[in-house]
Amino acid sequence: MQPAAVYTRDRCVTGIHGLDEILRGGIPYGSTVLASGTCGSGKTTVAMEFLVRGALAGEACAHFTATEPSVKLLENIRQFAFFDMNMVDTGLINVFDMDVLYSWLGLEKSSFDLDDVHALIKAIVDIVNTIGVTRLVIDSVTTLCYKIKSEQLIRDFLFTLGKKLSTLGCTTILVSEITSATENAHWSSFGVEEAIADGIIVMGDVERMGHLLRFLQVVKMRGTSHSRAKHAIELTPIGVMLTPMLKWGAQSDKQGRWGA
Amino acid sequence: MIMFELDQRIAEQLTEVALNSAVQVRCGNSNAFMVTASTMVPLMQMFEMGGVYISGSRSAIEMIEAFETIGIDVSHIQFIDLVSSGVLGGTDVDRPNIHFVDSPIMLESILLRTLYLLRTTANERNFIILDSVNSLAIYNEDRMLAEYLHTFINTFRQREVLSVIINVPDQTSPLVLSNLDLYCTDLIDRGQVVIH
Repeated sequence: MQPAAVYTRDRCVTGIHGLDEILRGGIPYGSTVLASGTCGSGKTTVAMEFLVRGALAGEACAHFTATEPSVKLLENIRQFAFFDMNMVDTGLINVFDMDVLYSWLGLEKSSFDLDDVHALIKAIVDIVNTIGVTRLVIDSVTTLCYKIKSEQLIRDFLFTLGKKLSTLGCTTILVSEITSATENAHWSSFGVEEAIADGIIVMGDVERMGHLLRFLQVVKMRGTSHSRAKHAIELTPIGVMLTPMLKWGAQSDKQGRWGA
Repeated sequence: MIMFELDQRIAEQLTEVALNSAVQVRCGNSNAFMVTASTMVPLMQMFEMGGVYISGSRSAIEMIEAFETIGIDVSHIQFIDLVSSGVLGGTDVDRPNIHFVDSPIMLESILLRTLYLLRTTANERNFIILDSVNSLAIYNEDRMLAEYLHTFINTFRQREVLSVIINVPDQTSPLVLSNLDLYCTDLIDRGQVVIH
């Protein structure tokens, strides 16, 4: 008897050294992935490399920035040896300031209601559809969701957005800011994003004798068997580099690594 | 330039070593630099290899100057300095082939920095010299160091990079030493007498 054929979903190869191996080939196409992390953990860098690697492969990419102006963001990407400003000039990388988008939509207000949320979804989906975006980053979804006051509305926003982007074949990374990446923490700011996302990549720091080591861990990724181990990361001019974190050093000192 | 006699038997022994080997180099306190130089010079000059020198015992600039004193140019070798960040002002050196890691406790960062340097080098054949197990042992527990050496050796064997691991055996814990004996494929023994 022949073994049953194993169905594997097509992958969006991130191009990030080591991450595709952790994901056993990449992110399943059309997934919405939450990249959650504490400040300085490298989530924006990982998200930007995801876009630049996509642009290098000829894919149209879009970045919605809510935390820093697009000019500053582009300055930061120049650190990558493989980034070329032509990617922006030729429309492979498209950066949008959320403030400008709010202004276009007449959403310059402190909180959004249901209609506002749907207008925002429509605007993002229209941009993705018009440009033919296959890789999208929203940085950060936390900043965006602060304007949405109800948990139910946040859930509705993320679910609808994710569904529509997936239909368009767009793989999305939602950057999420969290205050702690330890075992008992939520993987998102509002607690609802993590349930809706197809994948969760957590980034944080392990404290070892007064030094902070950045780590990345894929907690969840629907549609692929993947490693769930902690990996140490370094941000280098040739991109993010990963290696499995030492098992005896994977927990912060205060969590009793020294056998306390 | 100071006249300096290298141990030619080390060069002879290195001719037997394959590119994906892990060589444990045992030395004593008094002959550490002679043994290190006698290992590194043939790799650079006879086998025309490039590489990365992980400098944990002394600062990278001090090592480079020591090599220069005996007339050996190491400008094409990349140095990862684990010492100088612990000394204020220590990183204020103007050498493009010196890279700093904050502390020997950042073992994964040392590995990643080495991999980064290997990915950016034009050399086809490379070595990694880890100087030394004893300097890492000051900051890291035995079980973590043993795990690290296991990962370190296998990472570079897989990439066909020769790893050379220097240690002073009579100052290395039995756990770490027995693990080194197990993982390393070759031994160059210029160490002191070991009595366990």
